[in-house]
Amino acid sequence: MGHEIGAHHLAHFAGFTIHMDTMYMTWLTMAIVILIALLATRRLKLVPSGWQNVLEMAVEALLNQIKETMGPKGVSFAPMIITLFLFLLVGNWLGLVPGLSSPTSDLNTTLGLALMVIIMVQLVAIMNKGLSAYLGHFIKPMVLFLPINIIEELSKPITLSFRLFGNIMAGEILIIVLGMLVPYVIPTAWLAFSVFVGVIQAFIFTMLSMSYLSSGLNDEGH
Amino acid sequence: MVEIDATLVAQIINFLILVAILTKVAYKPLVKVLAERQQRIENSIAAADKEKALAEELKAEHERQLANARTQAQAIIDKAEKFAAAKRDEEIEQTRLECARMLSKAQEEITRERDQAIADMRSEVVSLSLAAASKVIGENMTSAANAKLVEGFINKLDETKPGSLPC
Repeated sequence: MGHEIGAHHLAHFAGFTIHMDTMYMTWLTMAIVILIALLATRRLKLVPSGWQNVLEMAVEALLNQIKETMGPKGVSFAPMIITLFLFLLVGNWLGLVPGLSSPTSDLNTTLGLALMVIIMVQLVAIMNKGLSAYLGHFIKPMVLFLPINIIEELSKPITLSFRLFGNIMAGEILIIVLGMLVPYVIPTAWLAFSVFVGVIQAFIFTMLSMSYLSSGLNDEGH
Repeated sequence: MVEIDATLVAQIINFLILVAILTKVAYKPLVKVLAERQQRIENSIAAADKEKALAEELKAEHERQLANARTQAQAIIDKAEKFAAAKRDEEIEQTRLECARMLSKAQEEITRERDQAIADMRSEVVSLSLAAASKVIGENMTSAANAKLVEGFINKLDETKPGSLPC
């Protein structure tokens, strides 16, 4: 396999530590996503066919979902959300290729994306509601709820990132372990299931990000 | 296994770069194409609606013309029928006049013939009466006196029963 579970090839520069294997996989994922996008948009036609059809279907489905959950204001987040879904989908599936690992099986990736989303949610909420209303929402319905509200905000990136990380990491570990214990049939079944899990987890991450963003955009909800 | 380090920041940057690249190469052209397609479809539907309206207008026009033609044809038929009726009436009238004319001519002829016959008969009767009378009397009177006598008698008959001689 050439891949040790949980162990990373480290690189150090300027006092920072970076997981180079995660970086490589991330760049590979980015390259694949960009390649698909280029293939799909190389010769854009009014009557779509081939890759253009696939990407258009994905983009339109996500756009409809965005409009439904976030309202018309959410359309400006569409590039971010669609990219998030494509990146996570390709990233999740990458680990199913023997010899490769998912960038999402590194907590740094998932937590990074989750933190990015949550910071964005806070910024959007401040810009949309104003600073005082944003801060006021932490002591609703009464002051006693302040710790609960803070914990709720803090739990968002943690649940978001650990769910994805755990699912993908567990999938990769199980493939390796099952491959060693019961070769051929069971790992294949698990592999097929992991393909499904990869879609579901990418979808869940994207949907929850959308829902958090829409709660920042709209006045109702927390 | 779950160390958190600068990879986190690097991943955020990677992701943002990916968003930027995808926005440039994929989303903008794609959204443009989608908008173009929507515009195209809207145009097509508008054009189709226009064509449909035009077709309906044409249809109405045709129907109007057809109705017009029908009315005109009816008018022509009516006129022809009226003309034919007038012609027929005229011919009937003419025939009737001709008949009447012929009838009156025939009657005239008959009258004339009868008058002629009566005149002939009268002279015949005179000579017959004279012959009979000469036989009865046995002696011939002068013919002029005889004729005068008989004619006076017959004229009297005429006055009492004109035109109804038993002949």
